[in-house]
Amino acid sequence: MSRLIAQKLFTKQSMAPSLLCIRSYHPIAKDFVKPITIEPLTYTTDSLQSKVLDHCLSNNVPKYGFKEKSIVESIKQLELSPSLVSVLGASNSPSFVHSSPAVLELIKYHLVTKRYELTKDIPQENIDHNNGLPSLEELLVKRLQMDIPIGSQLTDLFAQLSMPSQFLMETALPELLNLADDMIYFSNEKDHFDMAWYTKRLGVAFTYVASKLFMAQDISPNFVETMNFAHEKLNNVMKLGDYYNNTEEFAWYTLMVSVNLIKSQLSRN
Amino acid sequence: MYRRSIVSKVTQKKPLSKLSPLRAKSSPTTENTNEQTAKFEQFSSAQKAYLDRVVRVDQAGELGADYIYRGQIYVLSHKHPHLRPILDHMWKQEVHHRSTFNNLQLKHRTRPSLITPLWKLGATAMGVVPAMLSPEAAMACTEAVETVIGNHYNEQLRCLANQFNMEKTDGTKDEPEEIKKLTDTIKEFRDQELEHLDTAIKNDSHMAVPYKLLTEGIKSICKVAIWTAERV
Repeated sequence: MSRLIAQKLFTKQSMAPSLLCIRSYHPIAKDFVKPITIEPLTYTTDSLQSKVLDHCLSNNVPKYGFKEKSIVESIKQLELSPSLVSVLGASNSPSFVHSSPAVLELIKYHLVTKRYELTKDIPQENIDHNNGLPSLEELLVKRLQMDIPIGSQLTDLFAQLSMPSQFLMETALPELLNLADDMIYFSNEKDHFDMAWYTKRLGVAFTYVASKLFMAQDISPNFVETMNFAHEKLNNVMKLGDYYNNTEEFAWYTLMVSVNLIKSQLSRN
Repeated sequence: MYRRSIVSKVTQKKPLSKLSPLRAKSSPTTENTNEQTAKFEQFSSAQKAYLDRVVRVDQAGELGADYIYRGQIYVLSHKHPHLRPILDHMWKQEVHHRSTFNNLQLKHRTRPSLITPLWKLGATAMGVVPAMLSPEAAMACTEAVETVIGNHYNEQLRCLANQFNMEKTDGTKDEPEEIKKLTDTIKEFRDQELEHLDTAIKNDSHMAVPYKLLTEGIKSICKVAIWTAERV
């Protein structure tokens, strides 16, 4: 019986992880070979694809935005074959309404590598949430600052990310949740094992998106206004959590008091 | 189980290369010696998904057990004070199980079950309602729940023993340390759950009035709950 179950589990190819648990179980890293790719990406960091996309992000995207033109320019500048454009987009399915697969790959690469960079300097083992970790706000601001070079292209990026499509469900949303998860795990924020686990992640993701939207229209020098906005927004979201906890505690207290009151009244007679 | 223990013994006896102690001595920190021992290949996505499920469903299950005993204690401790120490003992063990899986969930970054509030509510009801019928019915409830949980843990143990013999970089095969630990944890908990089952039978669970109806009903509810908690 158990063998049957095991076989069913492990031979089934379609055990695709659901939206919420793309990076589900994290093994203890020191016992395992270091993975050569950053998870949703299918190529290594020293591959040709990474080289082109990296060059494109740092040199051409700030100028031309998330468009095919910046990829083509990068390929030209690196003196590679122009057919590489179709290789780049190989892992995305083409869509009539969305940008070309290569551009989608560029956006995916941007999201994934920036998320990876955010926590790269933090030691990945023996995470102690009480000391030695940055605060949630520091990580949030750090992530926002990473996008300062492409500040003028953010509106375009948002349009691409939020367009209802396969890309939104398979890449944009999971990456947003992964980012929120990383921010909470690698900061000194308290983590939870009930519904608060979800609400905290949603709260952080919401704060990040709101700050990014603000950033897209920010014209202050070095996006000072955005950083202030993020600070305030995060404080508000965390305060909301406190309100909820206090209300719950008070309701439970009241319930217990009234049950005990009724009990004592009944036993008196 | 048998196969696993043999494999792990073999790999423990296998000597390291002659040079490795020298290298270890010259290296300044203990971390470097760790790096020289063979590492495991990465888990496949199916293996990860399975472990993810195991942690989630066991966490939800122990949460349920915690609340069931809480409900029973709340109802029974005044009318039947002789049951109080028995229930307290079982409850404390469940609290320990629950906190163990909570820590595992945070450590391995899996998500908790999305319908945790529903599990809390359902488990409280499952503790309170039979206890209100009679103390025997409460014990029958314990018996049914622990039977299902015992079987469920056994199934997990079989799968962990069969499917996690991982390839190492030096060509040998072994189970990663975390799988061994998880197996030991589940074994220990399974034994304690079966102890609870014995306790329930000793305390007249078979005397409960609609015995068949109660136990079979609760068993099927538990199975549905396990099925759901694995997925949602």
